[in-house]
Amino acid sequence: MSAMAKVCEDLALVERFRRGEDSAFDRIVEQHAAEVAALANRLLGWPGDVDDIVQDVFVAAFVGLKKFRGESSLRTWLFTITVNQCRRCRFRRRRLRPVALEEAGTVESPDRGGDKAAMDQETFARVRRAVQALPQKYREVVALTYLQGLEAGEVCRLLGITTNVLQVRLTRARKRLRDRLGDLLEEKS
Amino acid sequence: MNQEKIERLLARADEAAGEPAFALATAAGIRRRIHRKRLVTMAVPTTVAAGIVLGATLWVVCLPTGRPQPQPQRIASLEEQVRQLQAQTEATLKLLQEVLETDRRERRLASLEAEFASIPDPIREIERQVDKAAFILVYQADKVYQELNESESAVRAYREVIQFFPTSPWAQVARERLARIEQQRIHDTKRQEGANLWDARNT
Repeated sequence: MSAMAKVCEDLALVERFRRGEDSAFDRIVEQHAAEVAALANRLLGWPGDVDDIVQDVFVAAFVGLKKFRGESSLRTWLFTITVNQCRRCRFRRRRLRPVALEEAGTVESPDRGGDKAAMDQETFARVRRAVQALPQKYREVVALTYLQGLEAGEVCRLLGITTNVLQVRLTRARKRLRDRLGDLLEEKS
Repeated sequence: MNQEKIERLLARADEAAGEPAFALATAAGIRRRIHRKRLVTMAVPTTVAAGIVLGATLWVVCLPTGRPQPQPQRIASLEEQVRQLQAQTEATLKLLQEVLETDRRERRLASLEAEFASIPDPIREIERQVDKAAFILVYQADKVYQELNESESAVRAYREVIQFFPTSPWAQVARERLARIEQQRIHDTKRQEGANLWDARNT
Protein backbone atom coordinates (compact mmCIF):
# COMPACT_ATOMS: atom_id res chain seq x y z
CA MET A 1 0.00 0.00 0.00
CA SER A 2 1.39 3.42 -0.95
CA ALA A 3 2.05 6.06 1.70
CA MET A 4 -0.74 8.26 0.33
CA ALA A 5 -3.27 5.42 0.40
CA LYS A 6 -2.19 4.63 3.96
CA VAL A 7 -2.72 8.25 5.05
CA CYS A 8 -6.17 8.29 3.39
CA GLU A 9 -7.13 5.05 5.09
CA ASP A 10 -5.97 6.44 8.46
CA LEU A 11 -8.05 9.59 7.96
CA ALA A 12 -11.08 7.49 7.04
CA LEU A 13 -10.61 5.43 10.22
CA VAL A 14 -10.32 8.60 12.32
CA GLU A 15 -13.53 9.91 10.76
CA ARG A 16 -15.33 6.64 11.45
CA PHE A 17 -14.11 6.72 15.06
CA ARG A 18 -15.40 10.29 15.43
CA ARG A 19 -18.80 9.09 14.26
CA GLY A 20 -18.76 6.57 17.12
CA GLU A 21 -17.47 3.37 15.51
CA ASP A 22 -15.25 1.66 18.09
CA SER A 23 -14.17 -0.92 15.54
CA ALA A 24 -12.33 1.87 13.66
CA PHE A 25 -10.21 2.50 16.75
CA ASP A 26 -9.49 -1.23 17.07
CA ARG A 27 -8.28 -1.17 13.47
CA ILE A 28 -6.03 1.84 14.19
CA VAL A 29 -4.53 -0.06 17.14
CA GLU A 30 -3.98 -3.15 14.98
CA GLN A 31 -2.21 -1.11 12.33
CA HIS A 32 0.04 1.01 14.53
CA ALA A 33 0.57 -0.92 17.80
CA ALA A 34 3.65 -2.79 16.57
CA GLU A 35 5.44 0.40 15.48
CA VAL A 36 4.45 2.24 18.65
CA ALA A 37 5.73 -0.69 20.76
CA ALA A 38 8.99 -0.82 18.80
CA LEU A 39 9.57 2.93 19.27
CA ALA A 40 8.73 2.77 23.00
CA ASN A 41 11.06 -0.20 23.38
CA ARG A 42 13.91 1.76 21.76
CA LEU A 43 13.27 4.96 23.71
CA LEU A 44 13.06 3.15 27.04
CA GLY A 45 16.25 1.16 26.58
CA TRP A 46 14.96 -2.12 25.17
CA PRO A 47 13.19 -3.38 28.32
CA GLY A 48 11.30 -5.97 26.22
CA ASP A 49 7.94 -5.49 27.93
CA VAL A 50 6.30 -2.22 26.87
CA ASP A 51 2.68 -3.20 27.41
CA ASP A 52 1.95 -0.40 29.91
CA ILE A 53 3.40 2.31 27.68
CA VAL A 54 1.53 1.01 24.62
CA GLN A 55 -1.70 1.01 26.65
CA ASP A 56 -1.04 4.56 27.87
CA VAL A 57 -0.31 5.75 24.33
CA PHE A 58 -3.58 4.36 23.00
CA VAL A 59 -5.56 5.67 25.99
CA ALA A 60 -4.14 9.14 25.22
CA ALA A 61 -4.92 8.63 21.53
CA PHE A 62 -8.47 7.51 22.34
CA VAL A 63 -9.06 10.66 24.37
CA GLY A 64 -7.30 12.99 21.93
CA LEU A 65 -8.35 11.50 18.60
CA LYS A 66 -11.48 13.67 18.46
CA LYS A 67 -9.19 16.71 18.41
CA PHE A 68 -6.83 15.26 15.79
CA ARG A 69 -6.68 17.86 13.01
CA GLY A 70 -4.84 15.77 10.43
CA GLU A 71 -1.99 18.29 10.06
CA SER A 72 0.46 15.40 10.33
CA SER A 73 -0.07 11.73 9.57
CA LEU A 74 -1.73 9.59 12.22
CA ARG A 75 1.51 7.61 12.53
CA THR A 76 3.52 10.77 13.33
CA TRP A 77 0.86 11.87 15.79
CA LEU A 78 0.96 8.52 17.58
CA PHE A 79 4.77 8.66 17.64
CA THR A 80 4.57 12.12 19.25
CA ILE A 81 2.36 10.70 22.00
CA THR A 82 4.76 7.77 22.38
CA VAL A 83 7.76 10.09 22.77
CA ASN A 84 5.90 12.14 25.40
CA GLN A 85 4.75 9.03 27.30
CA CYS A 86 8.30 7.64 27.27
CA ARG A 87 9.66 10.94 28.59
CA ARG A 88 7.16 10.81 31.45
CA CYS A 89 7.94 7.17 32.13
CA ARG A 90 11.70 7.78 32.24
CA PHE A 91 11.20 10.82 34.45
CA ARG A 92 9.11 8.80 36.91
CA ARG A 93 11.63 5.96 36.87
CA ARG A 94 14.56 8.30 37.42
CA ARG A 95 12.76 9.90 40.35
CA LEU A 96 12.19 6.50 41.93
CA ARG A 97 15.56 4.96 41.11
CA PRO A 98 18.43 7.16 39.93
CA VAL A 99 20.52 5.33 37.33
CA ALA A 100 24.25 5.80 36.91
CA LEU A 101 24.34 6.34 33.18
CA GLU A 102 28.08 6.80 33.03
CA GLU A 103 28.60 3.09 33.60
CA ALA A 104 27.53 2.50 30.02
CA GLY A 105 30.79 3.76 28.61
CA THR A 106 33.03 1.93 31.04
CA VAL A 107 32.03 -1.63 30.17
CA GLU A 108 35.03 -3.70 29.27
CA SER A 109 35.32 -5.36 25.87
CA PRO A 110 34.32 -9.02 25.98
CA ASP A 111 36.86 -11.78 26.23
CA ARG A 112 38.35 -12.45 22.80
CA GLY A 113 38.52 -16.19 23.38
CA GLY A 114 34.82 -16.52 24.26
CA ASP A 115 32.00 -17.87 22.16
CA LYS A 116 31.33 -15.61 19.14
CA ALA A 117 27.55 -15.48 19.59
CA ALA A 118 27.89 -14.56 23.25
CA MET A 119 30.49 -12.00 22.29
CA ASP A 120 28.14 -10.48 19.71
CA GLN A 121 25.34 -10.34 22.27
CA GLU A 122 27.62 -8.59 24.73
CA THR A 123 28.76 -6.16 22.02
CA PHE A 124 25.19 -5.33 21.05
CA ALA A 125 24.18 -4.93 24.70
CA ARG A 126 27.07 -2.49 25.03
CA VAL A 127 25.85 -0.53 22.00
CA ARG A 128 22.35 -0.38 23.48
CA ARG A 129 23.72 0.81 26.81
CA ALA A 130 25.68 3.50 25.01
CA VAL A 131 22.49 4.71 23.31
CA GLN A 132 20.73 4.74 26.66
CA ALA A 133 23.52 6.75 28.19
CA LEU A 134 22.96 9.56 25.68
CA PRO A 135 21.05 12.61 26.93
CA GLN A 136 17.35 12.46 26.14
CA LYS A 137 17.40 14.89 23.19
CA TYR A 138 20.20 12.94 21.47
CA ARG A 139 18.72 9.55 22.29
CA GLU A 140 15.38 10.54 20.77
CA VAL A 141 16.83 11.69 17.46
CA VAL A 142 18.99 8.55 17.24
CA ALA A 143 16.02 6.27 17.95
CA LEU A 144 13.71 8.05 15.52
CA THR A 145 16.20 8.55 12.68
CA TYR A 146 18.51 5.54 12.76
CA LEU A 147 16.39 2.89 14.47
CA GLN A 148 12.82 3.79 13.54
CA GLY A 149 13.95 4.96 10.08
CA LEU A 150 11.83 8.12 9.91
CA GLU A 151 12.49 10.89 7.38
CA ALA A 152 14.24 14.03 8.68
CA GLY A 153 11.13 16.15 8.05
CA GLU A 154 8.95 13.75 10.00
CA VAL A 155 11.37 13.72 12.96
CA CYS A 156 11.45 17.53 12.95
CA ARG A 157 7.64 17.75 12.98
CA LEU A 158 7.43 15.11 15.68
CA LEU A 159 9.92 16.76 18.03
CA GLY A 160 9.07 20.32 17.06
CA ILE A 161 12.62 21.19 15.99
CA THR A 162 14.20 22.59 12.82
CA THR A 163 16.30 20.56 10.37
CA ASN A 164 19.46 22.37 11.53
CA VAL A 165 18.80 21.45 15.13
CA LEU A 166 18.19 17.85 14.10
CA GLN A 167 21.49 17.72 12.20
CA VAL A 168 23.38 19.23 15.14
CA ARG A 169 21.86 16.74 17.55
CA LEU A 170 22.62 13.81 15.28
CA THR A 171 26.23 14.94 14.83
CA ARG A 172 26.71 15.33 18.57
CA ALA A 173 25.02 12.01 19.29
CA ARG A 174 27.31 10.28 16.77
CA LYS A 175 30.35 11.92 18.34
CA ARG A 176 29.35 10.66 21.78
CA LEU A 177 28.72 7.19 20.43
CA ARG A 178 32.11 7.26 18.67
CA ASP A 179 33.75 8.22 21.95
CA ARG A 180 32.08 5.35 23.77
CA LEU A 181 32.21 2.71 21.06
CA GLY A 182 35.38 3.77 19.26
CA ASP A 183 37.04 0.36 19.62
CA LEU A 184 34.03 -1.40 18.12
CA LEU A 185 33.98 0.93 15.12
CA GLU A 186 37.69 0.36 14.53
CA GLU A 187 37.20 -3.41 14.80
CA LYS A 188 34.38 -3.30 12.27
CA SER A 189 36.51 -1.36 9.78
CA MET B 1 31.71 6.47 6.35
CA ASN B 2 31.81 6.60 10.12
CA GLN B 3 28.13 7.53 10.14
CA GLU B 4 27.29 4.44 8.10
CA LYS B 5 29.24 2.25 10.50
CA ILE B 6 27.41 3.70 13.49
CA GLU B 7 24.06 3.25 11.76
CA ARG B 8 24.86 -0.36 10.90
CA LEU B 9 26.01 -1.10 14.43
CA LEU B 10 22.89 0.49 15.91
CA ALA B 11 20.60 -1.40 13.54
CA ARG B 12 22.23 -4.73 14.40
CA ALA B 13 22.12 -4.02 18.14
CA ASP B 14 18.44 -3.13 17.82
CA GLU B 15 17.73 -6.27 15.82
CA ALA B 16 19.54 -8.41 18.40
CA ALA B 17 17.30 -7.02 21.18
CA GLY B 18 14.27 -8.75 19.60
CA GLU B 19 10.64 -7.74 19.31
CA PRO B 20 8.97 -6.07 22.32
CA ALA B 21 6.08 -7.79 24.09
CA PHE B 22 2.74 -6.00 24.26
CA ALA B 23 -0.99 -6.76 24.17
CA LEU B 24 -3.34 -5.16 21.65
CA ALA B 25 -5.64 -2.63 23.27
CA THR B 26 -9.31 -2.52 22.29
CA ALA B 27 -11.63 0.46 22.29
CA ALA B 28 -13.91 -1.22 24.87
CA GLY B 29 -10.95 -1.96 27.16
CA ILE B 30 -9.67 1.59 26.88
CA ARG B 31 -13.14 2.97 27.61
CA ARG B 32 -13.26 0.85 30.80
CA ARG B 33 -9.78 1.98 31.79
CA ILE B 34 -10.65 5.66 31.33
CA HIS B 35 -13.83 5.18 33.34
CA ARG B 36 -11.99 3.50 36.22
CA LYS B 37 -9.46 6.33 36.22
CA ARG B 38 -12.27 8.90 36.35
CA LEU B 39 -13.93 7.00 39.17
CA VAL B 40 -10.76 6.98 41.21
CA THR B 41 -10.11 10.67 40.55
CA MET B 42 -13.65 11.46 41.75
CA ALA B 43 -13.82 9.11 44.70
CA VAL B 44 -10.44 9.97 46.24
CA PRO B 45 -10.99 13.75 46.59
CA THR B 46 -14.55 13.17 47.82
CA THR B 47 -13.34 10.80 50.53
CA VAL B 48 -10.51 13.14 51.48
CA ALA B 49 -12.95 16.05 51.67
CA ALA B 50 -15.29 14.02 53.87
CA GLY B 51 -12.36 13.11 56.12
CA ILE B 52 -11.30 16.74 56.40
CA VAL B 53 -14.83 17.80 57.27
CA LEU B 54 -15.06 15.06 59.88
CA GLY B 55 -11.70 15.99 61.36
CA ALA B 56 -12.55 19.68 61.41
CA THR B 57 -15.88 18.99 63.10
CA LEU B 58 -14.29 16.81 65.74
CA TRP B 59 -11.61 19.42 66.30
CA VAL B 60 -14.21 22.15 66.69
CA VAL B 61 -16.22 19.95 69.07
CA CYS B 62 -13.22 19.08 71.20
CA LEU B 63 -11.79 22.61 71.15
CA PRO B 64 -11.80 23.97 74.74
CA THR B 65 -13.67 27.26 74.84
CA GLY B 66 -12.93 30.11 77.24
CA ARG B 67 -16.19 30.10 79.04
CA PRO B 68 -18.16 26.97 79.91
CA GLN B 69 -21.14 26.35 77.57
CA PRO B 70 -24.48 25.49 79.05
CA GLN B 71 -24.97 21.71 78.91
CA PRO B 72 -28.29 21.44 76.91
CA GLN B 73 -27.10 23.92 74.28
CA ARG B 74 -23.86 22.04 73.82
CA ILE B 75 -25.71 18.75 73.39
CA ALA B 76 -28.02 20.31 70.81
CA SER B 77 -25.07 21.73 68.87
CA LEU B 78 -23.31 18.38 68.97
CA GLU B 79 -26.44 16.63 67.70
CA GLU B 80 -26.75 19.15 64.90
CA GLN B 81 -23.14 18.61 63.89
CA VAL B 82 -23.56 14.83 63.94
CA ARG B 83 -26.68 15.18 61.76
CA GLN B 84 -24.78 17.35 59.29
CA LEU B 85 -21.93 14.88 59.23
CA GLN B 86 -24.32 12.01 58.64
CA ALA B 87 -25.98 13.89 55.79
CA GLN B 88 -22.61 14.62 54.18
CA THR B 89 -21.48 11.00 54.50
CA GLU B 90 -24.77 9.78 53.05
CA ALA B 91 -24.49 12.18 50.13
CA THR B 92 -20.91 11.00 49.44
CA LEU B 93 -21.93 7.35 49.65
CA LYS B 94 -24.89 7.97 47.38
CA LEU B 95 -22.66 9.67 44.83
CA LEU B 96 -20.19 6.79 44.97
CA GLN B 97 -22.98 4.26 44.54
CA GLU B 98 -24.33 6.18 41.58
CA VAL B 99 -20.92 6.31 39.95
CA LEU B 100 -20.36 2.59 40.56
CA GLU B 101 -23.81 1.78 39.20
CA THR B 102 -23.16 3.85 36.08
CA ASP B 103 -19.85 2.09 35.62
CA ARG B 104 -21.51 -1.32 36.02
CA ARG B 105 -24.19 -0.36 33.48
CA GLU B 106 -21.63 0.92 31.00
CA ARG B 107 -19.57 -2.23 31.32
CA ARG B 108 -22.69 -4.36 30.79
CA LEU B 109 -23.60 -2.22 27.78
CA ALA B 110 -20.10 -2.59 26.33
CA SER B 111 -20.18 -6.38 26.74
CA LEU B 112 -23.65 -6.54 25.17
CA GLU B 113 -22.50 -4.35 22.30
CA ALA B 114 -19.51 -6.62 21.76
CA GLU B 115 -21.81 -9.66 21.88
CA PHE B 116 -24.19 -8.02 19.43
CA ALA B 117 -21.33 -7.11 17.09
CA SER B 118 -20.22 -10.75 17.04
CA ILE B 119 -23.68 -11.94 15.86
CA PRO B 120 -24.00 -11.90 12.07
CA ASP B 121 -26.74 -9.70 10.58
CA PRO B 122 -29.91 -11.91 10.67
CA ILE B 123 -31.34 -10.45 7.43
CA ARG B 124 -28.14 -11.12 5.52
CA GLU B 125 -28.02 -14.62 7.02
CA ILE B 126 -31.59 -15.34 5.82
CA GLU B 127 -30.74 -13.95 2.36
CA ARG B 128 -27.71 -16.20 2.23
CA GLN B 129 -29.78 -19.24 3.20
CA VAL B 130 -32.43 -18.39 0.59
CA ASP B 131 -29.76 -17.99 -2.04
CA LYS B 132 -28.25 -21.31 -1.05
CA ALA B 133 -31.62 -23.11 -1.28
CA ALA B 134 -32.28 -21.64 -4.74
CA PHE B 135 -28.81 -22.65 -5.90
CA ILE B 136 -29.30 -26.25 -4.65
CA LEU B 137 -32.62 -26.52 -6.50
CA VAL B 138 -31.09 -25.23 -9.75
CA TYR B 139 -28.07 -27.51 -9.34
CA GLN B 140 -30.24 -30.60 -8.78
CA ALA B 141 -32.50 -29.69 -11.71
CA ASP B 142 -29.39 -29.31 -13.92
CA LYS B 143 -28.18 -32.74 -12.89
CA VAL B 144 -31.61 -34.34 -13.48
CA TYR B 145 -31.81 -32.78 -16.92
CA GLN B 146 -28.25 -33.39 -18.08
CA GLU B 147 -27.52 -36.80 -16.56
CA LEU B 148 -30.96 -38.47 -16.49
CA ASN B 149 -32.56 -36.47 -19.31
CA GLU B 150 -35.68 -35.98 -17.14
CA SER B 151 -36.81 -32.73 -18.70
CA GLU B 152 -40.24 -32.74 -16.98
CA SER B 153 -38.76 -32.97 -13.48
CA ALA B 154 -36.15 -30.35 -14.35
CA VAL B 155 -38.81 -27.95 -15.70
CA ARG B 156 -40.84 -28.44 -12.51
CA ALA B 157 -37.80 -27.69 -10.36
CA TYR B 158 -36.89 -24.57 -12.39
CA ARG B 159 -40.46 -23.32 -12.08
CA GLU B 160 -40.34 -23.85 -8.31
CA VAL B 161 -37.19 -21.76 -8.14
CA ILE B 162 -38.90 -18.96 -10.09
CA GLN B 163 -42.01 -19.23 -7.94
CA PHE B 164 -40.41 -19.44 -4.48
CA PHE B 165 -37.29 -17.35 -5.00
CA PRO B 166 -38.27 -14.71 -7.58
CA THR B 167 -35.74 -12.10 -6.36
CA SER B 168 -32.82 -14.51 -6.16
CA PRO B 169 -30.21 -14.39 -8.96
CA TRP B 170 -30.83 -18.13 -9.37
CA ALA B 171 -34.41 -17.38 -10.53
CA GLN B 172 -32.90 -15.65 -13.59
CA VAL B 173 -30.69 -18.71 -14.19
CA ALA B 174 -33.78 -20.96 -13.93
CA ARG B 175 -35.60 -18.77 -16.50
CA GLU B 176 -32.69 -19.11 -18.91
CA ARG B 177 -32.61 -22.89 -18.42
CA LEU B 178 -36.39 -23.11 -19.04
CA ALA B 179 -36.07 -21.06 -22.24
CA ARG B 180 -33.29 -23.35 -23.43
CA ILE B 181 -35.34 -26.51 -22.68
CA GLU B 182 -38.31 -24.98 -24.51
CA GLN B 183 -36.15 -24.25 -27.56
CA GLN B 184 -34.76 -27.77 -27.43
CA ARG B 185 -38.30 -29.17 -27.33
CA ILE B 186 -39.41 -27.09 -30.35
CA HIS B 187 -36.30 -28.19 -32.20
CA ASP B 188 -36.95 -31.86 -31.33
CA THR B 189 -40.61 -31.60 -32.39
CA LYS B 190 -39.66 -30.09 -35.74
CA ARG B 191 -37.06 -32.78 -36.32
CA GLN B 192 -39.57 -35.45 -35.40
CA GLU B 193 -42.11 -33.99 -37.81
CA GLY B 194 -39.47 -33.89 -40.54
CA ALA B 195 -38.57 -37.49 -39.88
CA ASN B 196 -42.22 -38.53 -39.93
CA LEU B 197 -42.76 -36.71 -43.24
CA TRP B 198 -39.66 -38.40 -44.68
CA ASP B 199 -40.93 -41.84 -43.58
CA ALA B 200 -44.42 -41.15 -45.00
CA ARG B 201 -42.97 -40.17 -48.38
CA ASN B 202 -40.68 -43.17 -48.57
CA THR B 203 -43.35 -45.61 -47.63
